[in-house]
Amino acid sequence: MENYLDVLSALILFSSFALVANKRIISYIRTFQLQACLIALTAGIMGVNSFLKEGKIDILVVCAIILILKVYYIPRLLHKTYAGVEYKVEKDFFLNIPILIFICCFLVLFAYFSIPTIGGSMAGNVNIQVVNSFSLVLIGFFFMISRKKAIGQIVGFLVIENGIFITAMFSTHGMPFIVDVGVFIDLITAVLIMGIMVTRISDQFETIDINQLKNLRG
Amino acid sequence: MGLMIWLLPLALVFLSRVISNRNALHLISASISVLMLVAAGFITSSVINNGVLNYPVFGGLFYVDSLSAIVLDIVIVIGVLASIYSIGYLEHELAERKITPKKIKLYYTLMYSFMFAMILALTVSNMGILWIAIEATTLASTFLVGFYGDKHAVEAAWKYVIICSVGIAIALMGIIFLHLSSVDVIEIGSALNWHALLEHARGLDTPILRLSFIFIVIGFGTKAGLAPMHTWLPDAHSQAPSPISALLSGVLLNSAMYAILRTLSIVNKNLMDSAFAGRIMIGFGLLSVLTAAVFILTQKDYKRLLAYSSIEHMGIIAIAMGLFTPLSVFAGLFHMINHSMTKSMLFMASGTILQKYGTREISKIKGLLNTLPLTGTVFLLGLFAISGTPPFSVFASELIVLSSVFKAGSPWLGGVLIILLALIFSGIAVTLFKMFYQQSKDDDTKILEVLRGETNKPGAVVLILLLVLITLMGLYMPAGLSDLIVNAQKIIIGGLPYDYN
Repeated sequence: MENYLDVLSALILFSSFALVANKRIISYIRTFQLQACLIALTAGIMGVNSFLKEGKIDILVVCAIILILKVYYIPRLLHKTYAGVEYKVEKDFFLNIPILIFICCFLVLFAYFSIPTIGGSMAGNVNIQVVNSFSLVLIGFFFMISRKKAIGQIVGFLVIENGIFITAMFSTHGMPFIVDVGVFIDLITAVLIMGIMVTRISDQFETIDINQLKNLRG
Repeated sequence: MGLMIWLLPLALVFLSRVISNRNALHLISASISVLMLVAAGFITSSVINNGVLNYPVFGGLFYVDSLSAIVLDIVIVIGVLASIYSIGYLEHELAERKITPKKIKLYYTLMYSFMFAMILALTVSNMGILWIAIEATTLASTFLVGFYGDKHAVEAAWKYVIICSVGIAIALMGIIFLHLSSVDVIEIGSALNWHALLEHARGLDTPILRLSFIFIVIGFGTKAGLAPMHTWLPDAHSQAPSPISALLSGVLLNSAMYAILRTLSIVNKNLMDSAFAGRIMIGFGLLSVLTAAVFILTQKDYKRLLAYSSIEHMGIIAIAMGLFTPLSVFAGLFHMINHSMTKSMLFMASGTILQKYGTREISKIKGLLNTLPLTGTVFLLGLFAISGTPPFSVFASELIVLSSVFKAGSPWLGGVLIILLALIFSGIAVTLFKMFYQQSKDDDTKILEVLRGETNKPGAVVLILLLVLITLMGLYMPAGLSDLIVNAQKIIIGGLPYDYN
């Protein structure tokens, strides 16, 4: 099973590279959907495994929640929000794509070399799954600061959340069930609220370029 | 009985959706908040008598000890006063046609969801649920920050929800590492239960726990308003309706700080030393005080100035907690109470001023004591209080914090802190006291002419009540309160076997 999980963690990392390379909002929402599919698959494999070994269905339920929430509902919500806020400029980043990818590679290297130095149960051996998932968190942060549009920031936030979720899956085989469920409730509410906020920003500022949000200073 | 503290705010969230009569809604809100005060009184008295209050529901999830009781009481007291103040505030906004009656319903729904999330955070024993509740506070208060829906409010709300959600996501990472550090010693049933974590603290995986602490301080520190993660705070506090600013500053920041304190005691017990966590806390604390000092000196907006002052005081609390001596922790907790009361009073007073003048700019307001005799006086005394002037309570706790800094053998830290506090005092005096001067004859800057008289009658009562409270607390501490604080201090320090003195 570990081999499959290694491959999946690498694929999830690649999907985040693809996300960074996406130019249009529509395409990075789709890439996010793909990433969520991969995460659901990871949770599915772990869930089946834990069901066969210990007879617990917790992780399988979590997998089902991911499928409904992250694969179906959130992308749909983002598409809807995007459809509601038309604007002309499609290009949505400060730096060009090769530089963005280069910085992402650097972030992965950073995770690769920093995680074994933590010590304790992570000392010495490089756990490739944790490296990949932690890189995903870093890339999520980077994605957030490299995009100018409000929807890009929401997607960045979701990628960070994905990264944290699979870090938890790979390192501890999931948090206590009630915590996982609570996190999902918070997540969906957060995305709903951010979606409404995007609409309001677009109403007030006639753009969703967050660079325009600089009235409050000092 | 204790569980009423969960049910009452939820009941109001529900009622505010179904009841349309706004006078009825005001009345129900005031009476439910008073009932919450009664429930909190019951919880506090049983905590003082028995040490902890724990119900065997939801697997022992409901758990209150002295530390949570202190922060819970702050939440409830400020919550009650803010909800009474809100009545006059909202009626005035309605009369001025700034909001519609429908918005009052929304206001109550969100305000009590916000209160519920904070109460939940303080009454659970599980770090995971604590995280969920703190994230829920952000979500519930986003629309309260953006309540007026204009450009500035929307911008503040967007920054608030994004910065705090990302910050709190970092804290989730910290909680995952906390869980990871404990998987070998704690069985799955009580995973992330901080009581179990503290008990088994010596067995936790130290390097991962250290990492977890850094993530948790940065994550919850974002919500607690520690610099340099504070950037959402001045925007949110200045744009939110004033009773909500009072809640954000007086209550929300403490709830986030409470989450840090719980982890701090686990980490220090594991390391048997407070140097590692102390350096982080003192670093962030000092940076917060410094940032606040710089921005207060150049501030033009009085609500933003008060927000920066909150950053300063959270910094002082972080420094006190970082020192981790019994005296400094005691002082930090006492300071938490005093800052909340004083700052809420100031924010509510600033709400009345804002409604009177319709501007947040300091330079446009003159002769405040003439226009608003009562609110103006309270505001003036509150400014003296918040900058640490006797006889008010903030002076008392700041004095204990400073003496504990010197006692702990860090004269440099104490010296820098005193200089910064003096700078902040002069900053407040230079910028805000202009509001109380009369316009001089040869000065032709345009100021706003307004009618004399108070607008918010219930609010004025709340202000006087708070003023009396902070004056009394500066002179005399009731035995029950000092017992509670000493017990809470023992809970935080409790992990460490040796004595610092």
